[in-house]
Amino acid sequence: MKILVCIKQVPDMESKFKINAEGTWYDGIDLAWRMNEYDEYAVEQAVQLKEQVAGSDLTVLCIGRQQVQETMKKALAIGCDRGVHVADENSHQKDPFEIASVIAEFASDKGFDLIFTGMQSQDRGSAQVGVLIAEMLGMPSISTIVDFAFADGQISAKRELEGGIKALVKTTAPALVTCQLGLNTPRYPTLPNIMKAKKKELLSVEVADLLKVEAKQETAKIYFPEKKGGGLVLEGEVADLADQLIQILKDKTAVLA
Amino acid sequence: MASYPSLNFNLGETADLLRDTVADFAAAELAPRAADIDRDNEFPADMWRKMGDLGLLGITVSDEYGGADMGYLEHVIAMEELSRASASVALSYGAHSNLCVNQIFRNGTEEQKSKYLPKLVSGEHVGALAMSEPGAGSDVVSMRLNAQKKGSHYILNGTKMWITNGPDANVLVVYAKTDPEAGHRGISAFLIEKGMPGFSTAQKLDKLGMRGSNTCELVFENCEVPAENLLGAEGRGVNVLMSGLDYERSVLSGGPLGIMQACMDVVVPFIHERKQFGQSIGTFQLMQGKIADMYSTMNAAKAYVYAVAMACDRGETARKDAAGAILYSAEKATWMALEAIQTLGGVGYTNEYPTGRFLRDAKLYEIGAGTSEIRRMLIGRELFNESAP
Repeated sequence: MKILVCIKQVPDMESKFKINAEGTWYDGIDLAWRMNEYDEYAVEQAVQLKEQVAGSDLTVLCIGRQQVQETMKKALAIGCDRGVHVADENSHQKDPFEIASVIAEFASDKGFDLIFTGMQSQDRGSAQVGVLIAEMLGMPSISTIVDFAFADGQISAKRELEGGIKALVKTTAPALVTCQLGLNTPRYPTLPNIMKAKKKELLSVEVADLLKVEAKQETAKIYFPEKKGGGLVLEGEVADLADQLIQILKDKTAVLA
Repeated sequence: MASYPSLNFNLGETADLLRDTVADFAAAELAPRAADIDRDNEFPADMWRKMGDLGLLGITVSDEYGGADMGYLEHVIAMEELSRASASVALSYGAHSNLCVNQIFRNGTEEQKSKYLPKLVSGEHVGALAMSEPGAGSDVVSMRLNAQKKGSHYILNGTKMWITNGPDANVLVVYAKTDPEAGHRGISAFLIEKGMPGFSTAQKLDKLGMRGSNTCELVFENCEVPAENLLGAEGRGVNVLMSGLDYERSVLSGGPLGIMQACMDVVVPFIHERKQFGQSIGTFQLMQGKIADMYSTMNAAKAYVYAVAMACDRGETARKDAAGAILYSAEKATWMALEAIQTLGGVGYTNEYPTGRFLRDAKLYEIGAGTSEIRRMLIGRELFNESAP
């Protein structure tokens, strides 16, 4: 069985973000980087499937700068067999359609039986890439899964819906699933596997060789929302507080008018 | 609080991935239990299997015995990240993985390594090392535990003191005198197993800090040890001991680094949250000066400790610098815990905050694995002798 898992390197979300000079993305300097959280669930599920189906081969793919190879090493240490790094200095400027088409172009002649992605990235958050890849490859996709089972070519996945409802969705491989929080608990890469990952194949491909489309959207501007004024804390005795409140409501609102 | 950029020490991809892994593991599995472990003075035995599964316990051991085949730099980083979560569990980890496991790996015969390492590496067994005695601390060569050869056995009589992991250990590396008249040439190392007739442990010590890292006295009363349990050659134990001490000091230096980082982890958010005179105390220059001193001292200690560990990995002699790295980092960790308490003020003096634990734990590193005094003596003596015309 041939499995592909697509991951993205994103900043630590505790970072203090600054807008870049162009005003269209955040500044990447001085940030700590890690694997997109939803992709961690995707990698764990892909490794579990590989362990379940003997003879499987699991490829991890990541688009971005040289530094994304650090995050790919983690995926290799967790259990992916080989890595494909699509080298791209400007991946942050590409729209979801371009990113999906690069991955679909790579995957088109590889015959993957199952493709795992995160349900969205923590930085862009479009939640489009996974389902677009499936569409481009002409395979079904099941999005935001919280449970996954595979038997005899059949995929049974649970999706979490609003109001606490879950849906059981079935399809046949080849297919793509996008992974949501709650799907599994990602394992830690063990120390011996961190060492073994150093020897695994990590192929680098230029993005120009795979990009055959043009963007369908552009981010015009990113910005921090304007800060709202702080709240007002009234202090003192209850009677005074009530008087103060009534005065404020009279002065600043129309509710007592 | 937003995370702030820290200096990149450029330790390499493997070291960085290892740090992330151990930090994630320690934050999830260890940190939430650290206060309870300290208060109850209970060794968390279940952690050993978890650490074994992760590959932490045989970090410097080759893969044929189940190890991770990493170096001393990685061992320091593991020690640092575990200590950041719980310095006492990390101390037990250091005693197990370096003092016991690494000594067996470096000095054991093929049979000894095959017999003892797999269970120590998996976490099924706990390991310890025993050097000090009630009357032989810094003056280790004056040890009196006697090992007399009788046929195919050695008969051990005497005691060992201050033994980290002693109450829990299944396998112990123990130094004894096989020739009491021969000074340092009369010392040999033995592999002792829990349950050997004549071997027992006395009651667990009630310590100021490092609580949960159990410490006790070992008692040998006509303990029969098979001759094949001699670790290294008879009379050459001091070589095992002294070469091991350099690595021990280097690896254990990660302990104070972790405590220093834990101090920063508490102090930095606190100076934002704590408000006086209507503003965060971090806006006051005296507080800014304090965290500047803490941050730069911590990074200076890290730079020295990492450099010494890398020298150990290159196989270079680092005796005075291994002693220097732990001397400097240990004293600065104690100082830093005091600064952390001072920054927090009243609450820092309560057990609601972990800063008191940091102080009690940090102090150990000025005493254990050699006192600050013996480290200074060693460094100064080496410098004087090496520079003699």
